[in-house]
Amino acid sequence: MPLLETVGVKVRFGGNVALDDVSISIEPGTITGLIGPNGAGKTTLFNAITGLQSVSSGSILLNGKDITKFAPHKRARLGLARTFQRLELFTSLSVRDNIRVAGEIRNRWKSIGGGRMDATAEADRIIDLVGLRDVADREVGEIPTGKARVVELARALMIQPNLLLLDEPASGQTEDETEQFGKLLRTLAAEGGLGICLVEHDMDLVMNVCETIHVLEFGRIISSGSAEHVRSDPLVIDAYLGAPESVG
Amino acid sequence: MQQFVQYTILGLVLGGVYFIAASGLVVTYTTSGIFNFSQGAIAMLAAFTYWQFRWGWGWPAPIALFVVLGVLAPALGAVLYQVVMKNLRGTSEVTKIVVSVGVMLGFLALATWIWNPTASSPRRFQKFFGANSIVEIFGVRITWHEIISFVLALGIAAGIRFLFVRTRSGVAMRAVVDDPELLELNGGRPERLATISWAGGAFLAALAGILITPITGSSMSANALTLLVIDAFAAAMFGRLKSLPRTFIGAIVLGLTNYYVVAYSPSSWTWTSAFRQSIPMIMLFIILIILPQDRLRGATVLRTRERFQMPTMRTAWIAALVLIVVVFSLQTIMQPSPMKTLAYGMTLAIIALSLVLLTGLAGEINLAALSFGAIGTIVVFHFGTTGTGLDSRMTLWGIILASLVCALVGAVVALPALRLRGLYLALATMAFGVFVSKMVLSEGNPRRLFGRDFTIFPGGTLRIPRPQVGPVDFNSDKAFLTLVTVLFALLAIGLVAIRHSGYGRRLAAMKDSPAACATLGMSVVRLKLSVFMLSAAVAGLGGVLMSAQLGAVSAERFDIFLSLSLLMVTVVGGIGYASGALMAGLFLGCSLIAMTNTLTKLNVDYASIQAIFAFMISAVTVLPATIGITMGKNPSGAVTDIVKGLNDMKQAKPLMFTVIGLEVGFWLLTATDVLTNWNFVILTAVNLFLVPPIGGAIMKKRAFAKFGILPPTPAEFIGIDRPYTQGDLDEMEIVLGLDALGVAAPVLHEGEPAHAPA
Repeated sequence: MPLLETVGVKVRFGGNVALDDVSISIEPGTITGLIGPNGAGKTTLFNAITGLQSVSSGSILLNGKDITKFAPHKRARLGLARTFQRLELFTSLSVRDNIRVAGEIRNRWKSIGGGRMDATAEADRIIDLVGLRDVADREVGEIPTGKARVVELARALMIQPNLLLLDEPASGQTEDETEQFGKLLRTLAAEGGLGICLVEHDMDLVMNVCETIHVLEFGRIISSGSAEHVRSDPLVIDAYLGAPESVG
Repeated sequence: MQQFVQYTILGLVLGGVYFIAASGLVVTYTTSGIFNFSQGAIAMLAAFTYWQFRWGWGWPAPIALFVVLGVLAPALGAVLYQVVMKNLRGTSEVTKIVVSVGVMLGFLALATWIWNPTASSPRRFQKFFGANSIVEIFGVRITWHEIISFVLALGIAAGIRFLFVRTRSGVAMRAVVDDPELLELNGGRPERLATISWAGGAFLAALAGILITPITGSSMSANALTLLVIDAFAAAMFGRLKSLPRTFIGAIVLGLTNYYVVAYSPSSWTWTSAFRQSIPMIMLFIILIILPQDRLRGATVLRTRERFQMPTMRTAWIAALVLIVVVFSLQTIMQPSPMKTLAYGMTLAIIALSLVLLTGLAGEINLAALSFGAIGTIVVFHFGTTGTGLDSRMTLWGIILASLVCALVGAVVALPALRLRGLYLALATMAFGVFVSKMVLSEGNPRRLFGRDFTIFPGGTLRIPRPQVGPVDFNSDKAFLTLVTVLFALLAIGLVAIRHSGYGRRLAAMKDSPAACATLGMSVVRLKLSVFMLSAAVAGLGGVLMSAQLGAVSAERFDIFLSLSLLMVTVVGGIGYASGALMAGLFLGCSLIAMTNTLTKLNVDYASIQAIFAFMISAVTVLPATIGITMGKNPSGAVTDIVKGLNDMKQAKPLMFTVIGLEVGFWLLTATDVLTNWNFVILTAVNLFLVPPIGGAIMKKRAFAKFGILPPTPAEFIGIDRPYTQGDLDEMEIVLGLDALGVAAPVLHEGEPAHAPA
């Protein structure tokens, strides 16, 4: 059974159709890529999955359960976590507290006995895991964007999700940071069995880490498949990637 | 039947005027994203100005109308936007609300200053063409004024709709609020459009003010007129601040209900008039309940300009101890009357603390803190006292009960608005505040409730005794001052403790990004509810103590405008800090009174320059509002600057010891009656405000001279006053984050001319 399934999801903004009949599925332990030009509906799809945007028709299944009508926090409690393209960090807290508070939020909704965590210790572990030790005690508003995106990832990991949606996590990162980041994603997917869905413009990263890639244009999926398949699909080249020599 | 037609027409007219005011709100909100709390005050100012021209100076109506509606009102709106509101881009919703509330209070103070409310003859306002120009329609007599009002409302509805939907500038206006930068890229001019819309909004407010004043029929009062147009809030809310047709429907329903209640409520009801006045606020409440849930939004701005650094627990304890010691020392040299004033300020500070908890920590707003104080006071009056006459005392259980009731009432008030954005909660609390003033605090009639005879607010004044806890009696001024000071200190420590706890971190997270919190599994509504209840309880506690300090309280003590002033002054002091609350309480409760008293005294002593002092007394009443309005420029509050100053002083030990030593000296001299209290105050002010900057400047100069280094050059003068160094470039590279973009960091080569890199 797939971890997440969207079935014919449609989202309208007034007269504009932002998403039209989008059906994708994500398996546990895999990394799925979501690419496409700006305004194609990638972030809208994430918003629809996490419940920040209601859908006009279609349904969203998490672990086979229909969550289309669930409030965002209910979905999160079923193991769904995300990061934001426009950073949504807690700017009055330090980097460490940004991550710790996610654990504290989780402790509030996790049933008693059902694994409350030591949020402080877990935050320390995650900080080491994602490599934020050197900035852990700084104000979150002071660190570079590339690092801030990693803070969002760490924060999402604190609620121990099964499915992680990452919205342009590598933008603002240096080449070295992106490489580290790709390795981290693969580790998370392989070791934790975490399903990851990645919206990203850095094609190297997408092509390197994603088993499956979906290409969105004007709210529709125009191509799906492996990196090789998508890379050579004329529709995709036309809509997004451009001529092969300019790729990368 | 004829009565029905008559009241229907009157209701339609009132609804039409409500719509004119509400459409002004929608227009300014749509283009600037700021909910204009001062809309009612602008209407009030316009009505007064028109009165001055028309009846004060006897101008003909067309000229007076043209000057007010065609020139002054639009100019006021445009200036308001350019000078005040423009600075609010990138500030939090709290700052936006507080600034426009500040403008409202400023206009109110201004109006009372110019048009003295205690003037001998009441100001009357005639209808257009006089009250006797009447036509008969369907056998019902209608004045021309009413016809004009309704036709204008229809015309404005059609006009604005046409403007927004059909014209280029209208579409551009709607685009401003969504994304001003994008509009600018597309060739639009958001600044200009916003200015125009504020001018238009002020015009509509002014029109509404001039139309509605004679309809109410009574003599003009600044507060009442301001509140009258605030009634239009409900209509604007019904249109979700976007839809004009829905706003129109809301306004008409509001107007009709108003008159039907008058016409058809049973004559046995003793509360019809109070109920009628509360209808708009009750409707606002109902609308909040039925509005669909807001989309969860993320932070509307990437980085808000407000920054608050919470002190450590250790600092909090030290500060609390210092406060208690200072107040205790002051109390030994104080006269009874200033001691009372100080205690009053301290109780206000406790109420302000409830705002710090709610707004500073959780980012939500309560515009009616004192109304919770009123609820608490009523509870204590009925259930929380023992003994009679001079021996009566407030009981500990009474205080606890009052706080609990306030928490519960807070839950009821907040619940409907919690699903919505902060602005709606603010409006819900305001509706609650007006409701309490109009319906609860005016309830002097005996009623039978649950089989008990009961009068909520008998005689217009409640006598509230001071508390006694076990054997400890807080009846004396000294004991009571100590009690409220210690309580404030403890609550302040509690506040800091909350901020350092998991609960406090969750509140901060919710304040910064509700969307992110929800995607982490937080039930934002429950957290908001809990903090609102906690805050209402603290406000209730502070209110009860305030009443106990005053001894006898009337409804005016809990006025909505007082609540608004308190919030504003707290934000000015620093809404993120307990010390901000202390400053607010002392400023509102003590400084203003002290300044007015001093000036009044000088006014009597130096009669020859009376006019100057009279002017200054009036100026003092405008003061809080003027400070509030400048918030847009420094949204973090005064305490931020003071804390920075104190930290600087900690680095300069000799200076710190000088100031403290001088202060202790002054106190000793006063305690031994060498100095008068008056001189003590002056010397203290000099010591605190002048010694640190002067001493600091001297010390800095010496330090630089001693180590042979130059004082630091401000960034904009680097390259002019002295050449660039590699250090400067490294710093710039950190600020710009060039490595993240894959650009090599700039390196300064030997011999290269020292220019800024392009």
